[in-house]
Amino acid sequence: MKVKVISIPVQDQEKALRFYTEKLDFVKKIDVPISEDSRWLTVVSKDEQDGVEVLLEPSPNHFEPAKVYQKALFDAGIPYTQFNSDNVQQEYERLVSLNVEFSVKPTEMGTAKIAVFNDTCGNNIQIVEML
Amino acid sequence: MTNKKKQRTANSGHCKTTQNMTYYHKEINRIRTECYSNKGQLDTVIGTRHYINHNFDKELNLDLLSHIRFTSKFHLLRLFKRYYGQTPKQYLTDKRIEKGKELLKQGTNVSETCFDIGFDSPSSFSTLFKSRVGLTPTEFQKRATFAKCKEI
Repeated sequence: MKVKVISIPVQDQEKALRFYTEKLDFVKKIDVPISEDSRWLTVVSKDEQDGVEVLLEPSPNHFEPAKVYQKALFDAGIPYTQFNSDNVQQEYERLVSLNVEFSVKPTEMGTAKIAVFNDTCGNNIQIVEML
Repeated sequence: MTNKKKQRTANSGHCKTTQNMTYYHKEINRIRTECYSNKGQLDTVIGTRHYINHNFDKELNLDLLSHIRFTSKFHLLRLFKRYYGQTPKQYLTDKRIEKGKELLKQGTNVSETCFDIGFDSPSSFSTLFKSRVGLTPTEFQKRATFAKCKEI
């Protein structure tokens, strides 16, 4: 078995696509219409386009428990997904200049530096730099 | 404002910030204090990791790494594993494979790549690469070149 795709639940796929490509600088990889209001929509890191795909899935709109779970995580400030960066401080400054909101500013956690931001689609996302 | 009053305001202000902190933020603070308060140990493992990052192409062993950080071999091994979850040797191998992939993608030939990332023999490099990546270095390079052509 191989890991090719991870999922992030999003409340609005179109808005998520804009956020992940325009702010996070990801690239759209797969976009297949499934039903009237849902797509199989994945993005990849620009620096690693053959790497793991991130599926922006509309589960909160179709499955109530997914919505409840997403909201509980969000309210507790918990990031369910994290991405790696070579320089968290630089990434933080770049994203702040694009009006991205952070709930945790760059913080050293022993052997890692982390920061957490709001992806505007219902999730906290953590960025991590290994020290 | 009297001093007493000032103090009370300051205190309540402090309480408020803790209360407004998310569950996750509180956990970060707790874990930092519980797991990462030993600055000396952190400096040792982070220093060792940086040393590996900059010298992965040379012959590295635990004797050398521990000598540089003025610690005993077994202490360093234990600390590194405790903080990074893998041994220095495992981390070094990961680093070498990662760099090997970069070089192969850039078009460096297999034996040159092998020596540039600190392996002694192309055959041991190929075997290890295959077990980690699922393809031999030659196959990996062919696919990378093919993918590049397709993009263009």
